[in-house]
Amino acid sequence: EDLVPRTRININNTTGLLASLKRFAIPTDGSTTFASHQSLASKEPTADVIGEDLMDDIKRELAFYAQALDAAKRGRALLKAEGVPFSRPTDYFAEMVKDDGHMEKVKAKLIEEASAKKASA
Amino acid sequence: DAADDSSSVKPRNKQRVLMLTSRGVTYRHRHLLKDFASMMPHGRVDAKYDQKKKLGELNELALSKAPNGPTCKFLVSNIHTMEELAFSGNCLKGSRPILSFDKSFDTEPHLQVIKQLFLQIMGVPPLQKRSKPFIDHVLSFSVADGRIFLRVYQVQETEPTKKDGAEGEEASEESKKKKSKHADKAKEFDISLLEIGPRCVLQPIIIQEGSFGGALLYENKHFVSPNQVRADLRRKGAAKSNSRAE
Repeated sequence: EDLVPRTRININNTTGLLASLKRFAIPTDGSTTFASHQSLASKEPTADVIGEDLMDDIKRELAFYAQALDAAKRGRALLKAEGVPFSRPTDYFAEMVKDDGHMEKVKAKLIEEASAKKASA
Repeated sequence: DAADDSSSVKPRNKQRVLMLTSRGVTYRHRHLLKDFASMMPHGRVDAKYDQKKKLGELNELALSKAPNGPTCKFLVSNIHTMEELAFSGNCLKGSRPILSFDKSFDTEPHLQVIKQLFLQIMGVPPLQKRSKPFIDHVLSFSVADGRIFLRVYQVQETEPTKKDGAEGEEASEESKKKKSKHADKAKEFDISLLEIGPRCVLQPIIIQEGSFGGALLYENKHFVSPNQVRADLRRKGAAKSNSRAE
């Protein structure tokens, strides 16, 4: 049981990090349009929303969901203000990330789950 | 497990990403890369990096900015690819995502660097060829417990239902927003999200100044390499059996 405790030297070269950041960062403040980067920071740290228990799946996912939803809403407002098309017209069809075969499988799984629930109830 | 590489000339959002995996990755890593690749029209997937020693080990993701860095290495855990997760969300292939960052990203320098890396690598630059002109998904990055949780959601716009308060908080929030905003909000659609996948958790390990090299700018002291964890376990077991043998 002679485990050597590993102590790492805490390297955190903040000045170096900030210098590096300055070199490559894309401005996301008011100097450019929102459409050029489309990034938003949440209003409060998500970790605070989750609270203590990170293993609480539902709470955690809800916090992520809330963060993303807020970003989506604000993002849409900003993009609309800049005159960038946001919503996809219903008659616009194009290749999707998940193809039809994949979606078919997902659907089958959802139906299966639903029917299993029904059967057990 | 993937090495991402992008280049840009000016601080303008116009870059491309080269994605590749190191040798010996499992199907999961490959599928995760494929999932990301399908969402990044500015990316190009290359054959696996064919050199055993250099460049990140298994289970590590390196985000690097070429040619002048910086690079950040992550340990990727809790990988769930799109294929495994039966999420009903879907989005246009190559539409530009809205990037949602946790506020915590603006607090510490190393997180700020990581945020910029995500922004430039995962975000799709405007007017990118092969990208679609509409926005229908959100990439969300949240920080918790020193790790970064990545989620992808589809933005779903539905016609606003009659407000019966059943939606609870969400509905009231929306209606509040509506009142405060302009009158044309009346024909605005409600937004809801559907998760698309994939999911993963990233733990930063180091940040280097250059592209895959250079001075160490940051090292996560809380990071314990999985090799170390395995070795410890084995050593513990060995000590036990040794004491039994004596």
